[in-house]
Amino acid sequence: MSSHEAHAGHHHDHGDHHHEELPFWRKYIFSVDHKVIGVQYAVTALVFLFFGFTLMMIMRWQLAYPGQPIPLIGKYLSSAIAMDGILVGDGYNALGAMHGTIMVFLAIVPLAVGGFGNYVLPLQVGAPDMAFPKLNMMSYWVFFCGGVVMIASFFVPGGAAASGWTSYAPLSVIATTGQTMWLLGMVLLITSSLLGSVNFIVTAVQLRAKGLGFFRLPFFVWAQLVTSFLLLLAFPPLEAAGVLQLMDRLAGTSFFMPSGLVVSGVQQTQYAGGGSPLLWQHLFWFLAHPEVYVLILPALGIVAEVIANNTRKPLWGYKSLVYSAIFLGFMSFIVWAHHMFMTGMGTTLSTFFQATTMIISVPSVIILTCLIISLWGASIRYTVPMLFAVAFLPMFAIGGLTGLPLGLTASDIALHDTYYVIGHFHYVVAPGTIFAMFAGIYYWFPKVTGRKMNDLLGKLHFWGSFVFINAVFMPMFFQGMAGLLRRQYDQTEQLHGSLAHGLTTMSSWGAWLLALAQIPFIINFFWSIRGGTKVDANPWQATTLEWAAPSPPPHGNFDKVPVVYCGPYEYSVPGKKTDYCPQHVAMEA
Amino acid sequence: MSAAAIIPHDMEPHPVTGMYNGKFGIWLFLASEIMLFGALFSTYVLLRMGAEDGMWPKHGAEILNVPLATFNTVVLITSSVTMVLSWAALKMGDVAKGQRFLGITFLLAGTFLVVKYFEYKEKFHHFEVFLNEPMAVEGYQEPLKGIRGHFTADSPKLEADAKTGAYAIPEYVIIEPDAPHGTHEHPKPVRIESAQVKRISNFGPRHSNFLATYFTLTGLHGLHIVGGMVVILYFLLTGSTFAKKNHEKYVNRIECTGLYWHFVDLVWIFLFPVLYLL
Amino acid sequence: MLAQTTYGRWLPPQLSEHGGKIDQLIDVLHVFMAVLFIAWGIFFVYCLFRFRAKQGHAARYEPVKGLISKYAEIGVGVFEAFLLLGLSMPVWADYKNKPPAESERLPVRVVAEQFQWNFHYAGKDGKFGSTDNSQITASNPIGLRSDDPAGADDIVSVNEFHLPTGTPIYLRLTSKDVIHSFAIPTMRVKQDVIPGMEIPIWFTAKEGSESEKLREQMVQHFPIEGANWYKLRHMIASEDHKSSGGEVLLAKGADLGDSFVKGKELIESLQKAGVAELVMQPRHPLEVICAQLCGNSHFKMKATMVTHDAAGFNAWIEEKSKGVEFEDF
Repeated sequence: MSSHEAHAGHHHDHGDHHHEELPFWRKYIFSVDHKVIGVQYAVTALVFLFFGFTLMMIMRWQLAYPGQPIPLIGKYLSSAIAMDGILVGDGYNALGAMHGTIMVFLAIVPLAVGGFGNYVLPLQVGAPDMAFPKLNMMSYWVFFCGGVVMIASFFVPGGAAASGWTSYAPLSVIATTGQTMWLLGMVLLITSSLLGSVNFIVTAVQLRAKGLGFFRLPFFVWAQLVTSFLLLLAFPPLEAAGVLQLMDRLAGTSFFMPSGLVVSGVQQTQYAGGGSPLLWQHLFWFLAHPEVYVLILPALGIVAEVIANNTRKPLWGYKSLVYSAIFLGFMSFIVWAHHMFMTGMGTTLSTFFQATTMIISVPSVIILTCLIISLWGASIRYTVPMLFAVAFLPMFAIGGLTGLPLGLTASDIALHDTYYVIGHFHYVVAPGTIFAMFAGIYYWFPKVTGRKMNDLLGKLHFWGSFVFINAVFMPMFFQGMAGLLRRQYDQTEQLHGSLAHGLTTMSSWGAWLLALAQIPFIINFFWSIRGGTKVDANPWQATTLEWAAPSPPPHGNFDKVPVVYCGPYEYSVPGKKTDYCPQHVAMEA
Repeated sequence: MSAAAIIPHDMEPHPVTGMYNGKFGIWLFLASEIMLFGALFSTYVLLRMGAEDGMWPKHGAEILNVPLATFNTVVLITSSVTMVLSWAALKMGDVAKGQRFLGITFLLAGTFLVVKYFEYKEKFHHFEVFLNEPMAVEGYQEPLKGIRGHFTADSPKLEADAKTGAYAIPEYVIIEPDAPHGTHEHPKPVRIESAQVKRISNFGPRHSNFLATYFTLTGLHGLHIVGGMVVILYFLLTGSTFAKKNHEKYVNRIECTGLYWHFVDLVWIFLFPVLYLL
Repeated sequence: MLAQTTYGRWLPPQLSEHGGKIDQLIDVLHVFMAVLFIAWGIFFVYCLFRFRAKQGHAARYEPVKGLISKYAEIGVGVFEAFLLLGLSMPVWADYKNKPPAESERLPVRVVAEQFQWNFHYAGKDGKFGSTDNSQITASNPIGLRSDDPAGADDIVSVNEFHLPTGTPIYLRLTSKDVIHSFAIPTMRVKQDVIPGMEIPIWFTAKEGSESEKLREQMVQHFPIEGANWYKLRHMIASEDHKSSGGEVLLAKGADLGDSFVKGKELIESLQKAGVAELVMQPRHPLEVICAQLCGNSHFKMKATMVTHDAAGFNAWIEEKSKGVEFEDF
């Protein structure tokens, strides 16, 4: 029976396909099965992740060795980006803007939500698929189109968008064509997210198996649920802002253009004026702040699952975790202007946002503390997913703590727009979220493929990544303190940059070595699909519902619709034969 | 292949939400739409509050066509009514009647768009010449900073700059000013030399932030109407067959479409007073 | 405390009167952050080792109780409230709400553009000439109106910010094109400069922070091994650098050349001649830099800042305030 579809214009009743084998293109390309879609999202996102990383690696050459031609690939870069193999200012800015955009919108969110959320959530709630499978498929393809538009923007005259991932007006309004493509790409990506988030919420609420009450849900599901609400409600203002900026660029409106502008000596009389650059900032950050919680919540969800499984005991403070996640989601809507403290904000507004920013640190601290306390009294198995999950904790702590000086206006004066900020947010997303993503890949790979990834390669990947990622980002805090500003094509042009430059070379080498450390992972990933050790349904002896389905699960997921009898982390229950009690198995008295 | 590929609560309401999946889904979608239009309304408020004197019209009626829009409001509200009647008829089992009302809804929506087309078109043939120094014009009490009206036949043709899209200022223009608000007497045509002109614009989006907001808000709303019409058309064409195969499911689909349609109507009910009357 | 001693290791030297409070907040914050991290860290590392999977030892199903976590959480919350109410808000309030009195301050208008800073002084008559953006030309970057007599003695200084120490400076910031950001790290000043808005900020450079003095205080020694032109391009020699034969290879006050190639050659020749280290000081110890991405030359958008004592500054005003001449009139 086909799914119920809310809004799309076209739908065909598939009819029963128990006994009919779908053609290749319906099974693997335009599939409506959440598992296929999840893999599509994940693989596409990983490709974008490595591409976005490559952009940064090119930039890091210019940073460490200003004015030197980039080895190997320098001569292939387009004239918008480099001249004689040397990066130019516009090119550096374009790579920077696209690095941020690609990492946030084309890599992390599609991987964390589209990939992991899509694959695991229906399984963890005991559902045969998402609530709206066809809508799910559409979400993926709209995302894919958005990605194509974004990448295509590199090839238009003037090159890709170069006004930062933040696209502040008026710079972005007077920018070249690439910026228009950025906006169009964003509209597509936002639409994809919106469609997806509707699906996730309905699935998590309505498709839960019998006995699976809200407080028996794995924390991963709660994290995805809150994330979906953030996507649903926070993205539309950015979509509106994108439309407004497109109007400014294409229809000559002045939403963000004040009166009297003079650019390079030319009076900009074509604009009516009267607009406000701050309007863009407010609309942008209204999304972009919840967006960073979209980046971290699924990661917290994955880390929670892996920690519960590898400590062989229930998570400490499950209820605190859930309430904190919900409170965090709510608070994330009212902190946005802490990104705008330096825009001329007065005391009233800044007090409000400082206060909410301080308050929002509380649930974050609670979640981190609960996860750390979960290690007490445990029996820790250091599997590869657990290595990444455990490393996540102090890395996230550093990222979160360094947010404090930025969230208070007085200290922000010295640190705003410096490398301190770059260090802060990268600690949260890079050794933070990305490590959680790796944990999730190693953890659920057996479920998706029926085979485990190789442990030795996994450990190499982990240790290499852990060491080098810290080498990249730890120096940035010190550079930021010294006054080194961000988005600087040539850091040595300014005195502060000159004096803090030594650490830049360390960051650059860290980045290139970090890339090398990913090679074991890439080899492992592809080789294990066919060559990894075969496993059964539950190789990690886990309790949550996805492990009740075969590895890999067939269409429809479960041989028998599961019924849930207990909480999600019934590990080491006293008096039981095994150290884990799956949710779908009734515990004997 | 698994035997249980049936999505729960596809049709029967869920105990927690009291809705079947599609209905819950459409409500969530509408929540996001509220945020979308909310952001644009907030933009309107921010821009209007921050506008310098004279840059924002005192009343929307100065620039916009209130009678046409009032007519459109009635059309849209009626279409919401016929939408409900369609769903009610279908729920009672009368597919023919349901499809008829659906058809009327479609036609009313089309009427709305046609009226909108004429409203928009009028704006692009109406001009304002913004002056460097205010000029006295007969019939107006205060000297005008910008003269609104229509160019006469012997006024030089306007050409848009290739790069910026704005009109280049010709040597001179001859404009027949609009009748002052409340009267119907057009002042005689006025000749303005290029040195006196700051900017020339039609009443399209680039004219001023008020019109930019007007076009963006009503344009986005119009796109939502088009989207709704596409869905309704699809059901008009496939409805009878669908209803025969699975009547309850079809009724649910129409219910969800109706919810969306009421929302689009509701947005207009906010848009109309904010833009046209305030 | 952790204060700002060596340039480039922690915070830069702090040369303004309000900056000390900002530094204090940053220091307190980092101690707090370190305490939290170390506390978490010790517990965390202990667990990683103590609770490794071991034969015969099962994990504990019952949640551990009686931990100090709840009190710690409340403590953290209280301390954050203190940081906010006690340290940050008062500093910010002063920074934003207490402009110096009109009679005491030196007003300067700053007009930012891609990619230069224009500083507009009122000149000897103390009155600013009015400006109009439509009058902007290449030689009249701020659009000073030719019909306003008050503007006849105004000073428009491009990329050079002169100011007296010990006097509050009251800046009115605006931009002609895109958003820039007026930042002086050593004065702990940062403010976004937004077109269509005029935003005031103020600060006072400490007495004793005159550029001449700072230049002397910021002498540094750089070993010749690994000396890099890029890092030293803004430095000038503090003394003559001679070869073993007495020949002056790098004179006092000279820089290392204006290109990477020239610099590399010079450094190599100095090394060959037996010079062990370079003794250098910044040519311009103080700079205004642009802290908001504003285009392809954002990284180069900087102005030299020259701090004078009161007499020196008045002399500068006298010299520059001769009357405005625009070629285009």
